[in-house]
Order: sequence, then structure tokens, then C-alpha cells
Amino acid sequence: MDAIDCDVHCAPDSYEALFPHLSEYWRQYITEAGIRVNGLAHAYPRGVGATAPSTYEALADRVLDRRGVRFVILNCLTGFETHRNAYFGAAVASAINDWVREEFLARDEGLRASLVVSTISPEDAVAEIERVGEDRRFVQVLLPVRSDLPWGHKNNHAVFAAARERGLQVALHAWGRAGKAPTPSGFTTTYLEDYVGNQSIAQGQVLSFVSEGVFERFPDLRVVLIECGFAWLPPLLWRFDKDWKGVWREVPWLGRRPSEYVREHFRATTAPAHLPRDPVLLDQLLEMLDGPGMLTYASDYPHEHGDGLAGLLDRLGEEQRRSVMWSTAAELYGLAGNPAASSRA
Amino acid sequence: MSHVEVRSGGAPVTKRGVELVDCDVHAQATEPMLAQYLSAPARRLLERYGRRTPRVTEWYPRARNAGMRVDAWPGKPGHIWGSDPELMRAQLLDEFGIDYAVLEVLSGQDCYDHPDFAAEWNHAINQWQLEEWLSFDPRLRGTIAVPHEYPALAVAEIERRAGDERFVAVLLPASAAEQLGSPKYWPIYEAAAAYGRPVAFHTGGYVDHRGPGYPSYYLEYHVGNGIVMQSQLASMVAGGMFEAVPGLRVVLTECGVAWAAALQWSLDAAWELMRDDHPRLERRPSEYIREHVWFTTQPIEEPDDPKQLVWAIEQAGIGERLLFATDYPHWDFDSPKQALPRVMDASLRRAILCENALELYGLPRERAVP
Repeated sequence: MDAIDCDVHCAPDSYEALFPHLSEYWRQYITEAGIRVNGLAHAYPRGVGATAPSTYEALADRVLDRRGVRFVILNCLTGFETHRNAYFGAAVASAINDWVREEFLARDEGLRASLVVSTISPEDAVAEIERVGEDRRFVQVLLPVRSDLPWGHKNNHAVFAAARERGLQVALHAWGRAGKAPTPSGFTTTYLEDYVGNQSIAQGQVLSFVSEGVFERFPDLRVVLIECGFAWLPPLLWRFDKDWKGVWREVPWLGRRPSEYVREHFRATTAPAHLPRDPVLLDQLLEMLDGPGMLTYASDYPHEHGDGLAGLLDRLGEEQRRSVMWSTAAELYGLAGNPAASSRA
Repeated sequence: MSHVEVRSGGAPVTKRGVELVDCDVHAQATEPMLAQYLSAPARRLLERYGRRTPRVTEWYPRARNAGMRVDAWPGKPGHIWGSDPELMRAQLLDEFGIDYAVLEVLSGQDCYDHPDFAAEWNHAINQWQLEEWLSFDPRLRGTIAVPHEYPALAVAEIERRAGDERFVAVLLPASAAEQLGSPKYWPIYEAAAAYGRPVAFHTGGYVDHRGPGYPSYYLEYHVGNGIVMQSQLASMVAGGMFEAVPGLRVVLTECGVAWAAALQWSLDAAWELMRDDHPRLERRPSEYIREHVWFTTQPIEEPDDPKQLVWAIEQAGIGERLLFATDYPHWDFDSPKQALPRVMDASLRRAILCENALELYGLPRERAVP
């Protein structure tokens, strides 16, 4: 079956790889401060997977020849840990986008990428979207799921406006913001909590996007949750709708129930698919989710999340399986069946 | 409503089989009500400088009736919502035929005070609870408020109250300086287990909004209470606290219920993938949860199709550890008559409304009716 893989990682193996795209000031800054790309060591320690490919050859060898995969969305998370220096963050984001274009996008028509931006300064994020957002091989603006201020906040709306003007969607990817307590309850002492914590944080972001009226203001915006799971969605929406009925006057711009915005505007990738093994429970969950319509396939190469996806696909009919593997993402990103003929909607 | 006539020393005593236990009721003290139990220096400190903890209502105003039921205002001088035992008895115990109600006084939960003051403050809460409430109506049960950031002082307060069986649990907030699975708090859990008391973690405390950052609205904050508790439960399991204190029973209060299955699936899957990350965990996370963790119902999730709530309870395997709660006198009060969906079968309904709480708190199955 044809597939669009919505989350494949790439990363430069050192900042030197980005030097052609950085000014002399930043090259010296990086050299003298001894800044290293650490592969998001807190997020992806050696225990949970290989290093992301740093060259097109490695990517082609390890991912692109997988059967049926027609399009791949590349996500480079290197900028997720660009310290607290907003100027550095903006420079690194630009360098990554240029590196991704040169190293990957220019060499394969089946490749698409997320556009990375400053995660500290909305103003710089807008400038970067203006700089490269017209390049149709970028399909969405990538933000870390962890944030200082929830992403739906009005301070960030200019970023979404700039994205929508260029037909880009927005994606929130697990992790980011090293150095602050990662979970809503504080610092973690095990990787297990940190890993599962991405799902807690994603829930907070869902509340934020809806409550702030982002989808009233940007009715064509879709937000893709990458590597944040999805089994938690139904109970969250039940509670969200219930509370909204009680305190709707606090968010008078919402014309519909929160769950309706979420089902229409959010998508979630299938890695991780942490699901029950019992097929009866899995069928219940699918009914609670109102079917798999929000889900898009992702391998999350090179990271491992277990065998949940296979169990999920087993419970789906042909049409539903095709929606997860292909059509939902194809519609989201405006990808047609033949890479050469595709274009963003 | 089974009434039984019993003769005791000649006088007839009417007894009633217990049918309804409310596991989350808020008695709320004003500062003057508690000040009378403080030492002179602590009282002076309170009156002249106040407490250090920021009040969350100042930046997330409760968007509805100041967070309270409109009809729960006592209209008596010096009283506020939840401070008048007579009104609570009329509006809750008598109105719904509640056999036991477990009080959770939250006045010490947001506790970032100096340890000397924190100890006195929580002691005062318990003394007020005892004198004004537990002595007022035999249907009331209390929870032991403790200065949780100072575990040694918290343990001392638990020891002071443990002899009174009307205090059925130890009360902690759902947000604290460290994650609640941290070994810092284990002495409190050990003391609670040693005295046969569950630890009830109640939504709230001083929430620092780590993770995604501070939301803008009470709507997000309030729904987010469930998310915070998910994160705390992950911390409790992953940190090894149930291995360390095998007799510990915890009650997750006012944080929702239906998310418990998804969290277990996720923790179990992650546990399998990365065993050497958490060598203390001998068993699957879900096994600890199904053995050590109880939930209260309010604010219970309301899916469009009510049978999905029953599924969620079954998926999480918590039917035997789910406790009914109204959250009186808060605005989002769940009525015993309406909160549980009608599609729920009678045995599960009875377990939630009564049996599970009797079992957990060791409450008598019959009570004398005046």
C-alpha cells in the first residue's frame, strides 16, 4: 500500500555541517563556546534508537527504499535546543532550513520537510516563514510541544498568520525546551516519565489552541501532533466539552463545542501508538475516536515505539487503512499520488 | 432504604444500611476561623503579613459564580461558601441521603509557608475540622491536612490524628514543589500506610504550569487539572513509590477518571520498550495502578454516548476502585442522582456509590439514624 511517512528525522552530525549557512559571527560563537549537536540526548538517548541520518545517502539507504513509501516528511529537531539566545535560535533555524533544502529536498522529489523557526521569538519565526515559506517543499511550521507559553496564545498568532498565507500547516513535535521542568508536575527522574510526559504536554497544547480561538481566526489551519500519541484524545475531549458548557463565557469566541474544533483541525501521527492489545478494547477506542480519521502514518525513523501501529492497522478496513497510510496526509499536505505531479493545496 | 430496628439496652435504635458515600466535600475555613487555633506569634504573623502562597484565583478567576454553587452562600456574618456545617447538612447530607461524606479542607494545600507556620496552620485546619464538623454530624469523616513540603512535620501531624478513626485519610495536593512520586514525600506515605490511611491527592495546590507553560483561561486550567494528575501518576509509578511503600493506597481526587486507561497503555508500552531505564519497576505500570490507586468520580467525563464512559472505566480496570464524589459546594457539583450514566449496570453503580468507599475507608455498613 502507498504511504506517506509523516515523521522521519534528519539531523546534522555537527554544527560545522551548518557553517556554510551561518555568518562568521555565529561560526566563531559556536567554535569558541564549544557548542555541539548532541542529538537531543535527553530526548533520544542511546537506549531508544539510532542516530538520525545526516546525509541524503544515509537517508536513502535506511528509509527511502521502504516499500510503498512515496513521500517522506523530514523533521530536523536540532533547533529544539538552541539555548535561550533568541538571535542564535533564529540563525540556527535559518541554517537548518537551508541545509535541509540543499542536503535532502534538492535531491529527491519524494521528500518534503517541516520548516523550522525560532521557538523563542514569534517575530523571528515570522521572518523565517517569510524567507523560505514560499518553497513548496516545506509543508508545515515545526514547533516543539514544550513551550514557555502555550502555543495557542495570542502572542503566537502572527506565526500562524504567516504560515497560512503561504499554505503551510503547523506541527507540534514531542520534546524541546531542555532546561525547564518537562511535565506539568515538575522535573522527572526517569526517561519513562519524560517520554510519556510529551502526551501530557500535548493535551495542554490542544486546550490552548482551541480555547484561544485559533481555529476561528485561522479556519483552514491544521495542527499536527507528532510523536505525542493519540489514545488520550477521547477522555480529554469529554472533559473539555463538559467544562466548556459551564464556563463558555470566558471564551466567547468559540462558536462550537471544543471537541468539534479538535476533530476538524488536529491530526496526530501514529508513532507512538500505545494501544491496548485486546482487540475488543482497540475497537472501543476506535469508536471513541470516531474512527481513525485524525491519524496519519509515521515511522518516526530512527526511533522505536513498539508494535502498536501493526495492531491498529489490523483492526481497520481497507478504506480506513488507506486513510491512515495515505489519504489523510495527502489531503493535509496537498500531495498527489505521483511525487513529480504533486503540489501543495 | 432498609431500616432495621435494633434493641440496645432497652432503647430502640434505628439503623440504616449504607447506600451512598460522598468522597469529596469541601469544608472551607475563613482565616479568622483558623486563627483561633494558632499560637500568638503565628496569629500575629498571619494578621500582619499574611501567607506567602500566591492565590491561584487571582490569575485564573473562576469563570462561574466565583467557583461556587450560587445557593451555597450561607448569608451568615463571618461565613463563606462551605464554612457553615448546618447549610452543608441541609443541602448535601439530608437532601441526597448521603450516609458518609469525606471532608477535604483545601486551605493548607497551596502551602508555601515557613515550616513553623505551615505546621501550625495544618494543625489548625484539623482542629477546626474536628470541632466544627466531625463533632457536628456523625455522617462526616475528615482527612488529615499536613504541611506536605516538610515531611517530618507532616508525619508528626499524622501521628497526632491517627488515633481518631473519623480521620479516614491523609490529604495532599496534586501539585507540589517536587513531583509527588519523589522520595522526598515517601515518609508521609509510609506514615499513612503504617496507620492504615490512604493518601488522597486533591486537584490543586500551587500549580506552576511547567510543560506547556501558563495557559490563559480558567477553562484550560480546570481541564488541565486532569492532565496534571496524569503526570503525577506517571511520577508515582515510575519513581518506584509503590515498590517502596507496598501498603500504600492513594486516591486521586477531582481529576477525572476516563484518562486512566490511555495512561496505562502508554506507561505499559514504554515500560516494555525501555526496561533498564527503571530497574526498580518489577511489574507493569498498570499492575501498580490497579493495585494501589483509587479515583473519585467528580468531575466525571461526559461522552456523547454514555456507554463509552463505562468502557473507559472497564478499560482502566478501576470499577472496584472508583469512588463517588459531589465536590460540594463547588460550581461543578455532580449530583448523586444524575452523575452516573443510566447505562451503567446496577452492580457497578452500587460499587461506585458506596461499596468501594466502605471497603477503602473501613466504614461501617450500617449507621444509626437519629
